[in-house]
Amino acid sequence: MCGIAGRVLKDHGNVGEDLVRLMAAQAHRGADSTGFAVYGPPRDDGYVVRAMGFDRTRLGTDLDDFQAALRECGSDFLEEPTTTLGDAAHYSVRAVISDPTDLARWVHTADAMADRLEVQSVGRSLEIVKDTGDAIAVADKHDVWSMRGTHGLGHARLATESSVLPNASHPFWARPFADVAIVHNGQITDYFTQRDRLERAGYRFMTQNDSELIAVWVSDQMRQGLTKAQALEKSVGAIDGVFTFLITDVESMGFAKDRFAMKPLVTVEQHGEMTAGTEEQSVRRVHAGEVDVINYDGPSITRLWQVGDLRAAA
Amino acid sequence: MTERVEIEVGDRTVREINEDIQARAKAGQAMRVSNPLSRHNLGVGLPTGADIVFEGSVGYYCGGLNNGATVDIRRNAGWGVGEAQASGDITVHGYAGMSVGAAMLGGLIHVKGDCGPRCGVAMKGGDIIVEGKIGYQSGFMSHAGRIIALGGAGESCADALWAGEVWVAGDIDSLGVDAKVVEPAPEEVEDVETLLASRGLADSARNWRKIVSGQRLWYFESRDAKAWLMI
Repeated sequence: MCGIAGRVLKDHGNVGEDLVRLMAAQAHRGADSTGFAVYGPPRDDGYVVRAMGFDRTRLGTDLDDFQAALRECGSDFLEEPTTTLGDAAHYSVRAVISDPTDLARWVHTADAMADRLEVQSVGRSLEIVKDTGDAIAVADKHDVWSMRGTHGLGHARLATESSVLPNASHPFWARPFADVAIVHNGQITDYFTQRDRLERAGYRFMTQNDSELIAVWVSDQMRQGLTKAQALEKSVGAIDGVFTFLITDVESMGFAKDRFAMKPLVTVEQHGEMTAGTEEQSVRRVHAGEVDVINYDGPSITRLWQVGDLRAAA
Repeated sequence: MTERVEIEVGDRTVREINEDIQARAKAGQAMRVSNPLSRHNLGVGLPTGADIVFEGSVGYYCGGLNNGATVDIRRNAGWGVGEAQASGDITVHGYAGMSVGAAMLGGLIHVKGDCGPRCGVAMKGGDIIVEGKIGYQSGFMSHAGRIIALGGAGESCADALWAGEVWVAGDIDSLGVDAKVVEPAPEEVEDVETLLASRGLADSARNWRKIVSGQRLWYFESRDAKAWLMI
């Protein structure tokens, strides 16, 4: 089933905590893994990198090699990377790096060691945290509770299209575009074809997960000249399968729904803020008491919220 | 006014709440369920004579498998309200989500607002009244029963309807595969209007369109293959 959530605040705030509450209420939709994407204050220069290493005993070597790849591309750590270890073999890294001379080329270089240390998000603002387990387990382990920002995404996964691996969980980053992330509920039925086309165009995918292509697909359409709204509208006819996905970057959050209206999305839009969830009972965890809920139940719906406008509307 | 016992939903487990509801129903007590918080599966499998009011929005499958109870939902309902209802009477005062009365066999579901896609999907009997608009593909593969929409219908109305009827007053965005609009007989209109009058919805000026199956999908013939393709 999977459950997705989105939250846009009118100002910098406790978006991490809100996302955890939204996802905790949807943990029954899938607890194979849970993930969060949080947009903090955008940096003027440098990128926040979130990555996952697969063997904690190699942590030191992995980071040395990672730094070597950075230096090869004219970049370096701006701060000492921080790591999150758990009981499992994998570990998570947060690093702040200076601007590489060519971001796409650096991502390509860093991906040479993706079998050991996989980059999961790169952004001036975006940080993706994901791991196996339910919302509370992941939030406690990575302290998502205290992550602050203006907006973000959440995802609870019931693994259907690929393995239960910590890196095969959502949100997915639009490798190598900075600051773009998606969460998806549904199944993409033509993803091998779509992925093949994108791979031929030079994009790289890290998992066998069908959802991984959505962020790259939308970003690629925009690179070819479509606006974000146009790319979302095109996705309804161009991507085959059933889906509701939420996509974010620094300025906006949008969604698209398939032609058969198979997957739900409900929102609360008030006081210059927006809350989205797969289930109404989820958004009610953030909005206590009776509140007007919008059900985006129809087919082929897309929508885009500008984070700035929501803030301005408040 | 009926004296009702109060049942609080809040954070209790749905199993616990439903056991509470069943016990009260067995004891013949009318119920008011407060603070439902859009939780799922509330009041599933209610017996004949049960009388229950939900004070707030409910989640998925509320009143599902109803077997003769009267259910009153004072705000919105999520997906599958009254799914597989055998008999009884469910009223939703606001919006009802996807698959209202899915596979229902009998009784009545009355939605005062709009409803989502596939209202009455695979229904096999009974009546659904929607005062607002019915969503995309309403009546999808229904086998029997009536869907009565007073506020129009969305795209692909009565798509692949097998039998049964979809009655629409108002605009229809588009008809589904093998759906056919026919002129209703005066006694059929009278029957529908009598049902509506029983819910305080009498209006003899309605311009009805009755949609039934074109029956082309009943038998597959390769020359008709295109008709099977919805896209």
